[in-house]
Amino acid sequence: MGITIKETQKRLRNKETTPEEVVSDFLSLIKDKNKEMNVFLDVFQDTVQEMKEKDPDLPLYGAVFGIKDNILIKGKRCTAGSKILENYNASFDATVIEKIKEKGGVFIGKTNMDEFAMGSSTENSGFGPTRNPYDLERVPGGSSGGSAVAVSAGMCNTALGSDTGGSVRQPAAFCGVVGFKPTYGAISRSGVISMASSFDQVGVFANTVEDTKLVFDSIRGKDERDSVTVDFNGGLAETKKKDKIVVGVPKEYFVEGISSQVKESIEEALSKIKGKEIELVDISLPHTEYALPVYEIIMASEVSSNLARYDGVRYGREDTESAMKSIEELYMKNRGKGLGTEAKRRVVLGTYTLSSGYYDAYYIKAQKVRALIIDDFKKAFQEVDAIITPTTPTLPFKIGEKIEDPLTMHLSDIFTVTASISGLPAISIPCAKKNGLPVGVQLIGDRFKEELLFNIAEKFEKIWQI
Amino acid sequence: MSNVNCQISIMISKKEVEKLAFLGRVELTDEELENVPEELEAILKYVQKLSEVDTEKTEPFFHFSETSNVFREDLSRKENNGMKEEVKKTKEHKNNYLKVKSIWG
Repeated sequence: MGITIKETQKRLRNKETTPEEVVSDFLSLIKDKNKEMNVFLDVFQDTVQEMKEKDPDLPLYGAVFGIKDNILIKGKRCTAGSKILENYNASFDATVIEKIKEKGGVFIGKTNMDEFAMGSSTENSGFGPTRNPYDLERVPGGSSGGSAVAVSAGMCNTALGSDTGGSVRQPAAFCGVVGFKPTYGAISRSGVISMASSFDQVGVFANTVEDTKLVFDSIRGKDERDSVTVDFNGGLAETKKKDKIVVGVPKEYFVEGISSQVKESIEEALSKIKGKEIELVDISLPHTEYALPVYEIIMASEVSSNLARYDGVRYGREDTESAMKSIEELYMKNRGKGLGTEAKRRVVLGTYTLSSGYYDAYYIKAQKVRALIIDDFKKAFQEVDAIITPTTPTLPFKIGEKIEDPLTMHLSDIFTVTASISGLPAISIPCAKKNGLPVGVQLIGDRFKEELLFNIAEKFEKIWQI
Repeated sequence: MSNVNCQISIMISKKEVEKLAFLGRVELTDEELENVPEELEAILKYVQKLSEVDTEKTEPFFHFSETSNVFREDLSRKENNGMKEEVKKTKEHKNNYLKVKSIWG
């Protein structure tokens, strides 16, 4: 486990360390490990200087961040893991970056990711796969695999990722760290490269729930540059019952598709929390099995629209040699060369599901079933304070194991997409180790009840202590 | 609706994929063109599962209720560096214009 923000802050306050030492410790670890793990696409040289210029009383003073490479930092390269943006330099700060700067945090580099955040293994990066620190032959999960490993391997205190269908929670589970996706609309996405806009949220990786909350509190809130954000004061903490927390265990998450190793680990973890002011109740979310098909359709549709801007003229490379016969040919060649196979596959699928003959049958049908999934959660949250599920159906898989079969790869997100579809806050925390590999548990909260979700997650974290 | 869904053909030909790739403006490699029809069929077959759900009386979801339109003055903002700076970031440019390959229709 790496060093927490709180620990670094304490040591800086007590003069047990200096900004130079804090940063150089991280940099030397990156220098040692980055070659084999391929975590950072760019490492910054100005981090110490930045930290020395910050006011030590600021809430994020001392915190060193890794930033997923789809979040813009002014003057720094931002590739989104895609060759098409290989030479793109950001012209402004994302709102989350602006806020971290204001609150005293600094950045150490940009982390590797699946191209345009599309993938569950970080194998789809245009710049090579990232490796799991627990076993270099295994994937770290994705798409924010670089950020997950950066925190897990101790290369920074905390990291930002983006979560569309599980891209923060799933790699957090695979790398044994905390990964959090907020309520849809809690954190601004201005300056975050869009994938599927009705799901996309910025998320946080950290070593502890306490650190996660600190970062979340520093970056949340309304932003006029992202129209879905709302005024948000951090959420409510009241529980349904006065003297205990009620946590729902949905039966649909413990049946199909879950590996016996994960199932055993989770059941053992759950058995430890009985009788500790936490009441586990069986619940049902009947439309769970439709979540992945719903996500598949809506996500691809939104991707095909969002990726239209990468034409190789305004953004990205222009690779063509000779004169073109038509503007279409120019676009096709640029995008054909600049985008990877998974990105192209989703553009083609999304073009299909949005085409006039199929729009009702696919896109509208999916949005209708989405409404039913949202309704399942609404009903469940009348009775419970949080819902507990496995974060992933399997342990981290081998590099290359699923890359040839897109559908099997997408099944890695089966337990995380429901919270994305429903705009709910969710956090993955480590609960056990199996065969030396980390297992994560997901806690899903009601909309804008982050405060309560963190409280519950902290209780579980204490009980499981790994 | 659900009955209609069951009847949708999910055979995707190479030619259809070529058409979709043209509409989406992505040139596929020969290898991709070989694999994508099958991959697309697999995904479309998988999502056919939704036809089991009765959505006769369900309104489609479009946005979370907290959100509404946000209006602002159409003014340049502090984070904008102006067009000159943005044009400079493109691979080829001249006199504050983007330069692209010549196109002959």
